[in-house]
Amino acid sequence: MRDRPPEMRVDPVEPLQWIARRRIVVRTPLINFTLGPGDGALVSEGDAVAPGVPLCERTLDARLVDVGRLSGPTWPVGGEAGERRRPPCPGNWWRGAGERRGSGERKVAWPPSGTLLYQAGGRWTAAAGEYQSILVSPIHGVVRAVRNGVGVTVEASGTGLLAAVAAGEPSRGCLDLPGLTDGDLPPSALDVSRAGRVVVAGSRVSAQAIGRARAMSIHGLIAASAGENSLRDLRAAELRQRASLAPPAPFGLIVLDGYQRRPIASPILALLAALAGSDVAIVTDPPMLVFDGSDLPLPEMPPDWIRVRSGRYAGREGRFLEPAGYRRFGAGMHLDGAIVCFADETEPTTLPFADLERFVF
Amino acid sequence: MSLPKAFVAIDLGSATTSAALIGHATGRWRLIAHRSAPAGVDADRLVADLVRRVRSSDSSLLAELEIDADASGGIVRLEARSSPPRRIAVLAASRKQRLRLAASARKAGWLVSGASVEESDLLVLARLALSRDVQALLLGADNSPGRGERRRLSDLAALGAAMRCLRPELMVVLAGGAAIHESIFAASGDTQAAQLLGGSDAANRRVADADSTLPAQQPVIVAPDPRRGQPSGSSLQGVLESLRGLPDDSRLGIARSVASLGHVLGRSVEAIEVGARAGLRVRAWPTGTTGFGLIPPHACLTDAAPAPGDLSDDVLDSVAAWSTEAVDRHRLADRLRELDLAPWGDADGDGATFRLAAAKGAISRLVDGSPELGGSPAPELLVAVGGILASSPPAAVALALADAVRPPGVTVLACDQARLLGPLGALTDEEERQGLLADLAEDLLLPLGSLVLPSGIKPGRSAGRLRLVSGTADAEIDLRPGTVRVVDLPPGQSGRISADFRYNVRLGSWGRHFEVDVAGGLCGMIVDLRDVPLRLEGPPETRRAAREALLRAAWPELGQ
Repeated sequence: MRDRPPEMRVDPVEPLQWIARRRIVVRTPLINFTLGPGDGALVSEGDAVAPGVPLCERTLDARLVDVGRLSGPTWPVGGEAGERRRPPCPGNWWRGAGERRGSGERKVAWPPSGTLLYQAGGRWTAAAGEYQSILVSPIHGVVRAVRNGVGVTVEASGTGLLAAVAAGEPSRGCLDLPGLTDGDLPPSALDVSRAGRVVVAGSRVSAQAIGRARAMSIHGLIAASAGENSLRDLRAAELRQRASLAPPAPFGLIVLDGYQRRPIASPILALLAALAGSDVAIVTDPPMLVFDGSDLPLPEMPPDWIRVRSGRYAGREGRFLEPAGYRRFGAGMHLDGAIVCFADETEPTTLPFADLERFVF
Repeated sequence: MSLPKAFVAIDLGSATTSAALIGHATGRWRLIAHRSAPAGVDADRLVADLVRRVRSSDSSLLAELEIDADASGGIVRLEARSSPPRRIAVLAASRKQRLRLAASARKAGWLVSGASVEESDLLVLARLALSRDVQALLLGADNSPGRGERRRLSDLAALGAAMRCLRPELMVVLAGGAAIHESIFAASGDTQAAQLLGGSDAANRRVADADSTLPAQQPVIVAPDPRRGQPSGSSLQGVLESLRGLPDDSRLGIARSVASLGHVLGRSVEAIEVGARAGLRVRAWPTGTTGFGLIPPHACLTDAAPAPGDLSDDVLDSVAAWSTEAVDRHRLADRLRELDLAPWGDADGDGATFRLAAAKGAISRLVDGSPELGGSPAPELLVAVGGILASSPPAAVALALADAVRPPGVTVLACDQARLLGPLGALTDEEERQGLLADLAEDLLLPLGSLVLPSGIKPGRSAGRLRLVSGTADAEIDLRPGTVRVVDLPPGQSGRISADFRYNVRLGSWGRHFEVDVAGGLCGMIVDLRDVPLRLEGPPETRRAAREALLRAAWPELGQ
């Protein structure tokens, strides 16, 4: 079959405007740290936080505890000048009396603590437990919202590199950009010498690499893609660790592009190279790599620099030349075409407009 | 809205923005031009491009429609947009109630997480309610709950009130018997002001100005019992839908337009929409003045998106069942996630067939999730709506509808290529919409063909014979069970089939001899003599080969 006549469907004046824009960085992003029933915040609105400052206390073995009647007003609130008391309400931190557990010499008193959950028939029930872990802030910023049992929101003072997916826990470490072989990092490169670091793992990270990184106390991995099964394995490992009542080790994973293998985009790789050796933080909500400071060594790119987002050329980069009109592609699909010249080729290639993306800082 | 001589209908979908220029020319409303682009592209750019294209092909038309080519931003717009998916936590006293409530919420287009006091600890329910992605709570009980359910319900209501105190931005819906606890929620509003922010003992001592930091409290809504309405649960579905959708929601617009279309054409009409974030199935019958302007029965399911957020085994199975490639589950999950991240990406070659398989899986889940909308008689007109279906080859779309919907009877198949049904449903005046649809029906419905699908076909050599007589053709085919035959019948032509079966089958009604009118389309008339519902036998490789052979017949460019 012959191609249809090249009707110019894409505006020839501003063809670049039809290519999807991908924002790479965002300044002073709002970062959420999720809490659940039994978890209490250790900061207040307006507090300045820095890496290592405790943000919240998480109850690892939260269960329902009958608190009984709390005669109000109970809770002292207010400054020293005008202290006043307010009745208890859901979300208040609560610490119980010691409970006798075990027998003989092993008998110990261990007070459960957590947050009040609800009141029914005049009696309060709390979500409380005996084992707590502290979540420390991985970033510099100012606390913008705090709600026990719901979450803490911090406005980071630095800049965030946007990612597609994140898993694990917020973490912080020195950014390590090892030499990549064909865009990949072999799992054996994740050794104990990289403990405490955030490592750039290349185009794809496997479940094996994630498991090895956690075992080596590496604080985080950054990759262009990760399979759904690898992410699911990581979530399951976290749940198992939480169920064992051991405080979870700080390990975060961010995936820059998605689920199918493709190399890290060159502008992002350039940015990571410029940041290598400095401290960065992985946060999961939203998925982002946060680094301090706003004076970024942003790479310079020609305005017509594009990257193939999906399809068989996914991950390749080059320059946009011109629109190709309405063209016939594989399987007889008629789509708006673009003519591009890949960086490592001299001959132009025609591919669908919708497969392209261009970077915006 | 009083319509000018020309206006632009814009559908702002989750993945696609589409614009259609509609004008009143030569005595009737016409679809002048349309185009679509990925959702990131500005709608103004699309409109300007439409005007540019019309000017380059027929500048006098612009003058007739009173459009200033240099000021395309001034053209009147009719907009509909896909409401973003929202999550509701269904908390019930018993498992039975949870399932009923969840079914209504799911059909109203909510993402649903649910738990009941009977099955789970209250802590599990609290976790659900406090999740950041939950925007509403649905608490429900039977209108006359038993003793056990009553006891659990009071705990549940107390928990719900506490959750609302912690998250005042949550919408709370009390359905059925849960409404008797409304007073607890009123009291919780008072405690909200006293809520402490901050955590442990030290934090409890700090001043927390709750009034200024907490979001505004949403009202408590009392909704009907989950069994009320026809079909069952539709009353609660309507309430939940109004809470989820934006005023100009495109899916509700499609439902309104389908009702108007049924009235205008005097036919029963069913629409199947496969969107990036949800799917819609709506069915309307021709009505007189009763039911005029009402939204017909419909189901809007978030798990009927091609790549839903929760990739359960059911979702993977439903896509694998239509895939023509041998692909393992992990790879399938990765491809679906990619489709979710970039719905317009990889739309050619193997990607196109994978998208169609994902769309067929979505249609299967949509049909399975709305059994009350299926059954006999089959709709006279079946309309396919949505980005993937609009961009796939017409014959492949017709085959997808035949495979996944399987309406037993004779059905005309069409596609809303210009995505007009949603925006036209945004018109508030029913008569105006019907007037527009009466003119535009031929323009907006791309005719795919007719589907002849008898049920009750028994295995054997021949089930009978079928003869098609049209203005240009006279064809006769042997009806061989288990086969799909395509008879050429071009768009714009109509014909009459005369089918003689050896035994009783159902083709609208039960019988042996049928004479039915059929309409032509881009893929002609499809005579599908496979089982209803479809059963492919043999090992997976054989079934995949059978699917691929059929798809290649409808899509000869595959593999090119």
